[in-house]
Amino acid sequence: MMEKTFDLVIIGAGPAGMAAAVEAAGHKLSVLVLDEQPEAGGQIYRSVNTTERLRPETYALLGDDYQNGKKLQLSFHQTSVTYLSGTVVWLVESDRTVHFLRNGSTNQVTASRLLVATGAQERPVPIPGWTLPGVMGAAAADVLMKSSGVIPSGKIVLAGNGPLLWLTASRLAEAKAEILAVLETINYSNYLRALPCLPQALLANEFLLKGLRMKSVVRKAGIEVLSGVTNLHAEGEEHLQKLHYTHQGKPRIIDVDTLLLHEGVVPNIQLSSQLGCEHDWYELQYYWHPVLDEWGNTSIDGVAVAGDVGIVAGAPVAEASGHLAGLDTAYRLDRISKKQRDDAAKFFRKKIKHNNAIRPFLERLYSPNPEILTPKEDSTLICRCEEITAGQIRKSVELGALDLNGAKAYTRCGMGQCQGRMCGLAAAGIVADTLGKSPREVGFYRGRPPVKPVTLAQLAKDENETIVS
Amino acid sequence: MLKRYGKSRGKTVSIWFEGQPIQAHEGESVAAALLTSGVKYLRHAQVSAKPRAPYCWMGVCYECLLEIDGEQNQQSCLIAVKDGMRIFRQSSAAENT
Amino acid sequence: MKTADIVVVGGGIIGISLAYGLARQGASVTVLDNAKGMYSASRGNFGLVWVQGKGLGMPRYAEWTLEAAEKWHNFSQELTEKTGNVIDYEQPGGFEVCLGEKEWSLRKSELEQLRDEFPGGNYDNQMLDRKQMQEYIPEMPLGENVTGASYSPHDGHLNPLKLLTALITALEETGAALDTDQQVESVAYRKKCFEIKNAKDSYYAKKVVLACGLGIKELAQQVGLNIPIRPQRGQILVTERTKPLLKYPFVTIRQTHEGSFMLGASHEEVGFDTETTLDQMRNIASHAVQTFPELSRLQLVRCWGALRILTPDAKPLYVESETCPGAFVVTSHSGITLTPLHVNLLPKWILEGDAPGGFEQFHLKRFDA
Repeated sequence: MMEKTFDLVIIGAGPAGMAAAVEAAGHKLSVLVLDEQPEAGGQIYRSVNTTERLRPETYALLGDDYQNGKKLQLSFHQTSVTYLSGTVVWLVESDRTVHFLRNGSTNQVTASRLLVATGAQERPVPIPGWTLPGVMGAAAADVLMKSSGVIPSGKIVLAGNGPLLWLTASRLAEAKAEILAVLETINYSNYLRALPCLPQALLANEFLLKGLRMKSVVRKAGIEVLSGVTNLHAEGEEHLQKLHYTHQGKPRIIDVDTLLLHEGVVPNIQLSSQLGCEHDWYELQYYWHPVLDEWGNTSIDGVAVAGDVGIVAGAPVAEASGHLAGLDTAYRLDRISKKQRDDAAKFFRKKIKHNNAIRPFLERLYSPNPEILTPKEDSTLICRCEEITAGQIRKSVELGALDLNGAKAYTRCGMGQCQGRMCGLAAAGIVADTLGKSPREVGFYRGRPPVKPVTLAQLAKDENETIVS
Repeated sequence: MLKRYGKSRGKTVSIWFEGQPIQAHEGESVAAALLTSGVKYLRHAQVSAKPRAPYCWMGVCYECLLEIDGEQNQQSCLIAVKDGMRIFRQSSAAENT
Repeated sequence: MKTADIVVVGGGIIGISLAYGLARQGASVTVLDNAKGMYSASRGNFGLVWVQGKGLGMPRYAEWTLEAAEKWHNFSQELTEKTGNVIDYEQPGGFEVCLGEKEWSLRKSELEQLRDEFPGGNYDNQMLDRKQMQEYIPEMPLGENVTGASYSPHDGHLNPLKLLTALITALEETGAALDTDQQVESVAYRKKCFEIKNAKDSYYAKKVVLACGLGIKELAQQVGLNIPIRPQRGQILVTERTKPLLKYPFVTIRQTHEGSFMLGASHEEVGFDTETTLDQMRNIASHAVQTFPELSRLQLVRCWGALRILTPDAKPLYVESETCPGAFVVTSHSGITLTPLHVNLLPKWILEGDAPGGFEQFHLKRFDA
């Protein structure tokens, strides 16, 4: 039987959630970790244990950055925390009662303190034709390698920008997948914007070297790499068949089976929004994120955030921020003194500082492609669930919508099962562009329960039962 | 549209898709197992009924929804295959209007 | 500075309906509102065109509602022909389910009172027992707690946002002005003229109509009217789309044209709070599943809290200020149902003082006692 209250409930078992759990459990806090995946690790270390056990070739292919997850996963499993996999949180009440679904039933626990460590998602890239089977995220393809040891078959093109585009390209190249081209949508002016940040980035030059290594793997495999590509357009009947794009002013078409799109990753803010945490617009990378203090505490009492959901900075920073949140929780629940907290934090702050040195450079170099921030073609689908086009969203502004929620009401954009996860940023970009305002001014979808869908039976059911863990 | 990487896999399991048997391997997600076995799409779009396949592979896009062992709306990219699993595509609201 | 014959404050369904009607009568009309509509009932409501149960203790309202319902079919056709906008209007008749004998006998006595009060006595709502009810909807098995339902052949439903869109389109075609990006801040009456201000501009008009829902209260005071309205929260749940299952709208359950089920609604006195609460969400889901067990498997994809605009007797209020003649207040919880009358009959009252018979019953004075 499981307890109904915990000192700390952590949502998400990626690097941030696992590290926070390890830290908090080390200070004798009762900790519950809830995670959607079958195995702890988040997306970065997804299925790391299963992969090592069952798919040794894939495990070798994914290399150190992936295999390192084993250590954290091991120390996580060695703690006394209660960990529930395959668990979907669908509502958190203001008293920090967390409602979740597991094995088809609803259940609830109450937390003295709550840590949202729900990570990031790949930014959806709404180009014409992106809903065709055969088109998916580049980071998604990487996750697929991890979760199932599976890679795209047939001819592959990667398009977009960002470190994860190159990571996936290099891994697929090493896996001898048939990559035709890597098409960078990066604008040359980005190099100029990023250049002043290069000296600082050199302080953490191992990341730059890693980037260069990935690019060299791709080039050595003889894969065509083009920069400044625009007007991406996927074509096909039941499945992707052709990719159209423009390079150096010339339209080009290639036959392709799989198109992997990537324009960076953005925080998963559905839970922090539903909780009513204050959020801010991050102009450089075009996303919303919760406003945090130096320990990850949000504007809502007793609710903190760790990892990429706060600001996208990658696994090492996420892990360190998890430790900080764990330390602060231990302090606030009187397990350690302020001085103990602050002293122990120094090590993690140093780590964060070092890892963050490269961020200003990367964030300027890889700012998202403006074409997908405000898709111009009226016929491009923005909301995949309700099948709402860019043109319909523009029309809603003509009818009087003054913000994203107004556009949602007029069009049904964001009302489907994904609850705006796939359309929100692009729809906001279109509304902002049409109104001549900034995305900050048009706001984001109001966070309402359920954060993930539940059936009416699950909702209607009495929840006064406990689960066996 | 997808293929397995590497020869060593988990032990073989049999799953059923639309009444047809499909061989998969322990430790694979349902969505991945289907799309490596010649299945071209997983669901129909809600309005146009056009074919869709997973975009995100991490539980965000809901393009992987299937009926698994009698339960509707299962996110098949997050669920590992189990021997004997019965899987069906869902009927789209659009197909019936 | 801008001028118009009439300024309508309120860009929701009631305000746009009145403006459209007024413009069609040849008046120059400007609509002012802040379309962000934090408390917009037009955006948050359930979408019923509803007759049954309305007008208890006020037969004129029962009659008024029925008159509106009877005009809806033609009105909706005209609106679609004029604008090209479909509003998903259907009038198959509607139900209000009774879970248990107690609900059934209570409803029955309400209907009997309505029938007794109704002018002419031809009130055709009826009570159906479980078996009769099931005959209407053979494809949707009733839950075991269902005792029966009340039924009215006049009830229907539509998509409120599509209605609003169509009304705005129709209004724009008349050449009326819509400035809906600013909240109206004040209304002043000087020398038989009204000055209406928002943060950007001043508007001068011979007449002003306040139709801005919960925003009426503060502005009405500036034209000498004390309007007793309050917010009442109703939470609404919406499911995933599914194939067509339920042809008839219920007062708490309806399937939209898109295939989603909308489920309502709570009645909560919580001021201007539009949050949702788990207790009410659970009650609503439970009520729906008890009525139709078939709905159990459907996924809830979203929910919201919206505010009803209620007078003390929940009936409409149509009033002209005595101290500032030319200032009108129009408010009703049933803004959708009454749309055809608001478009076609109220403009004559506002423009010429030509009010429909028995109209004084909708005046503020009914609350004086």
